[in-house]
Amino acid sequence: MNFLRNYPKRFFWRVYFIGLAVSLILDFVWLRSDVLHYHFPFQHLPEFFAIFGIFGCMLLILIAKGMGCFIVRDEDYYEKNQGDEE
Amino acid sequence: MTGWIHPGIVVFLGGFLIPFIKWRKIKLAYFLLLPVAGMTIVVLTSIGFFGSVPSWPEGLHKWRIPFLQYSLVLGKIDKMSMIFAYIYLIAAFCMNIYGLRVKNDWEHVAAMAYVGSALGAIFAGDFLTLFFFLEAMSWAPVFLLWFRGTKKSMGAGVRYALWHHFSGACILAGIVIHLHKTGSIELVHLPWGWGGEFVGYNLMLLGFIINSATTPFHSWLSDTYSEATPSGSIYMTAYTTKTAIYCLIRTFSGVPLLMWMGAIQAVFALFLAVLENDGRRLCSYHIISQIGYMVAGVGIGTEMAINGAISHALCHIIYNALLYMGAGCVLVVVGTAKFNELGGLYKYMPISFWLYMVGGFSISGFPLFNGFVSKVMTIEAAELIHNAPIYLLLEGATVGTFLHTGLKLPWNMWLQGKDEPPPNIRAKLKDSVVNTPVNMLIGMGILAFLCIFMGVYPKVLYDRLPYAVEFIPFTTTRVFSIMQMFIFTFMGFWLLRKLVLGYPTYTLDTDWPFRMAGRQLIQFCEEPLMAFANFVDEKVMNLVHSLIWFSRNPVFALHIKKEEAKLKMKRFIISPERAEKHKQVLEEKRRRYPGELPKLTLGASLVLILLVFSLYLILYLLIK
Repeated sequence: MNFLRNYPKRFFWRVYFIGLAVSLILDFVWLRSDVLHYHFPFQHLPEFFAIFGIFGCMLLILIAKGMGCFIVRDEDYYEKNQGDEE
Repeated sequence: MTGWIHPGIVVFLGGFLIPFIKWRKIKLAYFLLLPVAGMTIVVLTSIGFFGSVPSWPEGLHKWRIPFLQYSLVLGKIDKMSMIFAYIYLIAAFCMNIYGLRVKNDWEHVAAMAYVGSALGAIFAGDFLTLFFFLEAMSWAPVFLLWFRGTKKSMGAGVRYALWHHFSGACILAGIVIHLHKTGSIELVHLPWGWGGEFVGYNLMLLGFIINSATTPFHSWLSDTYSEATPSGSIYMTAYTTKTAIYCLIRTFSGVPLLMWMGAIQAVFALFLAVLENDGRRLCSYHIISQIGYMVAGVGIGTEMAINGAISHALCHIIYNALLYMGAGCVLVVVGTAKFNELGGLYKYMPISFWLYMVGGFSISGFPLFNGFVSKVMTIEAAELIHNAPIYLLLEGATVGTFLHTGLKLPWNMWLQGKDEPPPNIRAKLKDSVVNTPVNMLIGMGILAFLCIFMGVYPKVLYDRLPYAVEFIPFTTTRVFSIMQMFIFTFMGFWLLRKLVLGYPTYTLDTDWPFRMAGRQLIQFCEEPLMAFANFVDEKVMNLVHSLIWFSRNPVFALHIKKEEAKLKMKRFIISPERAEKHKQVLEEKRRRYPGELPKLTLGASLVLILLVFSLYLILYLLIK
């Protein structure tokens, strides 16, 4: 508990990496046994959800940033144009 | 009309008494008691006090009112309307606590009218009643927007009204066509297809789609919800879209188009959320994304999917109100919810942060929070129909939801690597860990408790769903796969965290063509059209003036005109001096005009009258 209070960030990262390692190992172990029940063949790929999570997240940000080149405007976009007309 | 009292009418009409109560404490107590009164009626109804509720899909019909040759049913009570009523009233109670400090009584009135009409819509047993309450629902939020009083919110209110009256007109057109075809106004499941005979149904579907903020008609939601008053926006998040989902389930479940629209919407809204800088707008995009799950569930249309859509709509009301409250209390305390101006608030508002995070975990679908128990139903339904693209889109939306509400928003608002907020924000905060008003924390606390309670004990929700549920959400596969996904989503976020910082920008949405077209139309009306109108106006007025001038003394006027014409002709032959003299005489005549009126003899008058009559006769004969 003292460790958590004194170094919350370090504690968080330790827990995080332990969780990460455990999830990777469990995936390998459970895929070979009969624990996980999936509906689609691609879900049986090793570490599918890890790959889906990290690449899904990064792709989302990168594609959105790419879209942003076309659709991002100044904060007062609509008000500004209105001002010109009045 | 025996026995049963309509909870929606109680809340709707009861709200109008609020401004007339003089004592503040009684007023607030009354304001809190309104949803409790509604809740009491709903609880009494469900235990069979007003007659036992038959099993789904049969319903109990109360409050039949004859109207023209039809019978309006204001109270159709079945399992689906009951579960919606429960959540609507519980949410309204928490929202009322959150909004207790609002000084403007009429804001309370608008909110209660809104909740009341939403209840009216879900108890409606026929299309006309449904339409009436949907229209009432489209007015109340306009006031919640206008009461904020900023120029932006005024404009947003008008846009909200425009969108919803357009959708209302579509729904009404659909109802009229349906009525003409079948002769019945009973609220039933409707056929759907492409082609001429389905025009009315497609119009009605369009109306519901706009109301439920389905892509590409979602932009009104993000545009307006973020402009409402901090507590008014909480009400708006819950009722309009969820009532539209309710209507879709009743009328258009199993339409494949909806399945695709919903799944695409769930992901599309997240792209726009990445670029968003305003906390409340970001949450608005998440409403849109979450509605995608419900619309997809309605579109899949199996029993599991419908149950999923209903339970997700209800859980969504709870956790999204919580999210909006979290962003709203930052807005109330420091006056802004923009990411580029915030950061490091954790030290001063830790309780709000953790309550918000409960909502964030719920919307992301963490196991043991209520989003999980409802979201996996829809995803499972997509798996069971073996539709991989729908499954991937919905699962991908889970990743994006966690990225934004679980990571981006709290990171930008509360944490962002700094221990202290920016100085201008810091100046508005007290040196205490509780900066948020207590009533707001209580409202959030109750909702957070519900999020966790429903997540840990989903039976309380599942038992009240229309279709019998044999569904266990916590299987190893689901819990494991979703946890692994979130762990790696966090890694993706951490690697690209610099990219999701807030920048003071505005992101265009699908309403851009509408707003631009509207602006062009107004510009066209104001400039070319007005110029043309002025031109026509001027010409007509000139004509009128000359007619008036002429009719003062037609004989003399004719004489002047004749002289004018003569002068013009003569100018070329006579000497300039004579022409000048002639002109002066003419000017003198003009000045004297109308002069002495000529006196007609009786005979001349008679001839004139006869002439007019004979002209009239000729005209009459010609036209005939």
